[in-house]
Amino acid sequence: MSEVRFRDDPLHRERFPTLSPDGQRMLDFMVDHPCAPAYRNKSGNRLLAHEVEAQRRHENEVATAAVGWTPGSAPDWIGPFVRETFAQVPHYRALGSPPRCLEDVAPVSRADFAAGIAEFVPDHVPLDRMINFRTTGTTGHPLLLPSHPVVAARYAAYHKRALRRLGIEPANGRGQVGVVLLGYQRQCFTYVSVTPSMNESGLAKLNLHQDDWRDPDDRARYLDALAPEIVAGDPISFAEYLKLPVTRPPRALISVSMTLLPGLRDRLERRFGCPVLDIYSLNEVGPVGVFDPDLGGHLLLQPRLYVEILDRAGRPLPAGETGEITVTGGFNFCLPLLRYRTGDFATLSFGAEGPVLVGLSGRRPVRYRARGTWINNIDVTHALLPFPISHFNVHQRADAGVVLRLAPDAMPLAPAAQAALASLFGTDAVTVEVLQAAGKTLQYTSDLEGAHS
Amino acid sequence: MNQLGPDLETLTRRLADTPPDFMDEPRVAGSGRVAVAALVNDLAAMHGGPAPFAVLAQCEGQSQRGDRNRLAVIMIGTWLLADPWFLAQQLDPATLVEVLAEVAEELAATPAHRFAADPERRDELARTVLDRLGFRPAGETPEQATDRLAAISATERRRLLEASRSAEQRAREIREALARKVAQESADKWTRE
Repeated sequence: MSEVRFRDDPLHRERFPTLSPDGQRMLDFMVDHPCAPAYRNKSGNRLLAHEVEAQRRHENEVATAAVGWTPGSAPDWIGPFVRETFAQVPHYRALGSPPRCLEDVAPVSRADFAAGIAEFVPDHVPLDRMINFRTTGTTGHPLLLPSHPVVAARYAAYHKRALRRLGIEPANGRGQVGVVLLGYQRQCFTYVSVTPSMNESGLAKLNLHQDDWRDPDDRARYLDALAPEIVAGDPISFAEYLKLPVTRPPRALISVSMTLLPGLRDRLERRFGCPVLDIYSLNEVGPVGVFDPDLGGHLLLQPRLYVEILDRAGRPLPAGETGEITVTGGFNFCLPLLRYRTGDFATLSFGAEGPVLVGLSGRRPVRYRARGTWINNIDVTHALLPFPISHFNVHQRADAGVVLRLAPDAMPLAPAAQAALASLFGTDAVTVEVLQAAGKTLQYTSDLEGAHS
Repeated sequence: MNQLGPDLETLTRRLADTPPDFMDEPRVAGSGRVAVAALVNDLAAMHGGPAPFAVLAQCEGQSQRGDRNRLAVIMIGTWLLADPWFLAQQLDPATLVEVLAEVAEELAATPAHRFAADPERRDELARTVLDRLGFRPAGETPEQATDRLAAISATERRRLLEASRSAEQRAREIREALARKVAQESADKWTRE
């Protein structure tokens, strides 16, 4: 069923610089399998040989390093990091000399990135292999974030750190599939790849939506054929995954993007007999923390990420008080973060293993009823992508009517945006109102029963 | 530049010895510790009178990007203008702080702390302040003083202009790199947010 052929593609070597015949066989296996879905896109690890070695070293460092800071006491690396960022990053250089301490750095938010992301890229970052991660975030403003294949690969180091706490050491290598990423959307970026630091174990990003498959029953057959060691997804794709009669469960599930409610988590753990890691992760930051019920929150995962909790005025709050999660550091050398306000809220507590984010809020999955079926809020995002609106809310009433709320300055776009949503929900199903809320807006809301699956 | 001023070295040495308090964080939009308006008013008082309201208003920072560095230059300038030589000149306090505000505006593209840490920038700040107050360094003719200030200022302006052009080009290249099709393809992550 493959619509994607590899060898004829001149960019194949660029996507897989170190690909061996075994790796190619893995790609062929995943694409040519008789139950394979329609892979819509192409991607690759893009890692050069020396970067594969560096990735292994990075994973070893992250595995053992401590998140070594305590309440209100910034770690030793912060001072040099602030000075280097003020020297290398245009946005900070324009502010003048570096301040004496981190608390004197004015926090930035997603709006600052949206106003000019190029200002946040350090001078020394080469651009020839730059990639981007597109994000709409919870405020709905589309943004291209600069990144690099090395940065993308580093995600694995933090997932492995989280898995290792549960005694799971990912081991699938040559001839095996390591990771499957699940989506469940009308439109989904799907592709196959291999992970060179894991001896070219397979990696597939696929869409469980029926439209991507010749036969919906192929979904379970294909997942059993791949037998991935790790399955990653979000609560919505996992809700669909739960329904499939797969017989070869993974060793762990990793949930990102949205709040994983305890009920779904329990069902997943019972159904697949493996732990479910709920990772708090942001495109701007990468994996930040992993939820541990015994700790009552998300244990921080990045040894080089300092977290503050700020009040509205940007002042640090003491441990135990709720405020905005604000991060400094990170592993994306294309976008060093200095007091980046994430838009998410929590309190900070400290345990034997390190800092913990308690009561994390800001993200909540919503699904909508459209023309008799459930659709994902990401499909709504896709429908609204063409429109430059920074604040909106799509609300489904208990009677299934849909209300699109737009900020006053976006009202001229209302007819076009309403038409875009009507293509999903039906011609007369969508009405428009003015959004009165200031600041961060909860984008997706619903009073319809079953919306929060 | 008609009046003979102090030995330039005494001023540049003073700048090199700027106390940490004068390089602390200016208060801008609610953050920072130093109320620059109060500092400037103190300087005016040392010279015998209050600072004009218009100058004090300029010392209230509204935005980090627009004001932080300019205010930091003012702070270092207040330390310079509190030098005993200036105090002995019986300068008009209003004129003095107006000149300080103008010089800070003029030099605000350079990171403020370089006016304490970098010998050339110390020279530039000291010469500029003297010039705007109608003085020249001791031992220099008016022509020499004018030429030396022009040379040092022109070099810095050229550097800043070149840096500005490079920054614009770099920003354009970054936007182009992010928009490339290959950049859209992305690369493997174990999870996707």
